[in-house]
Amino acid sequence: MEQPRSDEDQQLVARTQEGDVAAFDQLVVKYTPRLYGLVYNMTSNHEDTNDLLQDVFSKAYKSIRGFRGKSSFYTWIHSIAVNMTLNFLKKRGRRFNLSLDDVDASVHNDKEFLELTQTSSPVREADLSELQVRLNEAMMKLSDEHRAVVTMFHIQGMPHAEISKILRVSEGTVRSRLFYANRQLQNYLDEFRKNPVS
Amino acid sequence: MENFDDKDIATLLRLKRHEQPPPGYFDNFLHEFHRRQRAELLRQPVWRIALQRAQDYMFQLNVPALTSYPVAAAAILVCAAVLSLKVYQAPDAQTVATAVVQQPGAIAVSSPANAAWNLSSSPISARDIGSMPVRTSSDNMQTHRLATPPRYVLDSTPVSYEPASFRF
Repeated sequence: MEQPRSDEDQQLVARTQEGDVAAFDQLVVKYTPRLYGLVYNMTSNHEDTNDLLQDVFSKAYKSIRGFRGKSSFYTWIHSIAVNMTLNFLKKRGRRFNLSLDDVDASVHNDKEFLELTQTSSPVREADLSELQVRLNEAMMKLSDEHRAVVTMFHIQGMPHAEISKILRVSEGTVRSRLFYANRQLQNYLDEFRKNPVS
Repeated sequence: MENFDDKDIATLLRLKRHEQPPPGYFDNFLHEFHRRQRAELLRQPVWRIALQRAQDYMFQLNVPALTSYPVAAAAILVCAAVLSLKVYQAPDAQTVATAVVQQPGAIAVSSPANAAWNLSSSPISARDIGSMPVRTSSDNMQTHRLATPPRYVLDSTPVSYEPASFRF
């Protein structure tokens, strides 16, 4: 996913800081889909995602006067979203219900989906929906921090450098978490493949 | 049977981008955000709203350094301290005593040299007011009209201790 133009964001932030509420509304509209994907894939619950997203933008609006532009607004708002979601997940613990969104019909036009289902690969369309369910379960077995990097790198398409800025860890830490998370997911799906009834 | 490799995992994860909320969710999100903001504003205490307004005002004056919470709180405390000093400041006793002596018809305040008003001297009943100036009714009315701050006259004998000859 492309990072949005920072100069446009800077103008909207400056206008918001001067009291232009409509400018902040534009930022909300712009970033809601992106942040929704981030928070949803970390929580796997649509209702929790909705509440968290409201809180994220509420906090961002209250704190925007203190935003000095040392980082991009993109990084800043993502930091808020990730931190608030991690705090929420710590409080939620292991007691949660999956509340997954439906897969949009646009998936059938996805190039990778077509490659997966039409070429010889371990995945066929008939198994794909079951695999997606298992993948969601596997994601929830990861720790919150590992799930965060998997979400940001693989699902959101962020580069390692951006993830390290958002999480305030080194790029090496981001890479090692990704490596470990990938192994965990592979092992879980391989186990499912060997023992499909579980 | 092939095992999943990193590429398979990455592909499966990228397909999760197609998991979307119900139709209309994003269109309605901003409206819901505004509704929650209004509800939260109504729940805020008055002092917090006043503080935010003060911060907005300071920011408009291009003094962002003064919009931080600690600075705003300090400014409010300073204002409160100044106001409380003005309201509760008691008049200076010596100044009042001097003013009372200078005003004609006022109750006299004894100087330390005046033995008649000295509490450590002869009993009250033996004291002779003599030609001591007395307070007249017109002085009372004048005082009320002028609405001067209360004057606490020191070293004077309370009215109830005055002998019968004391006249208004």
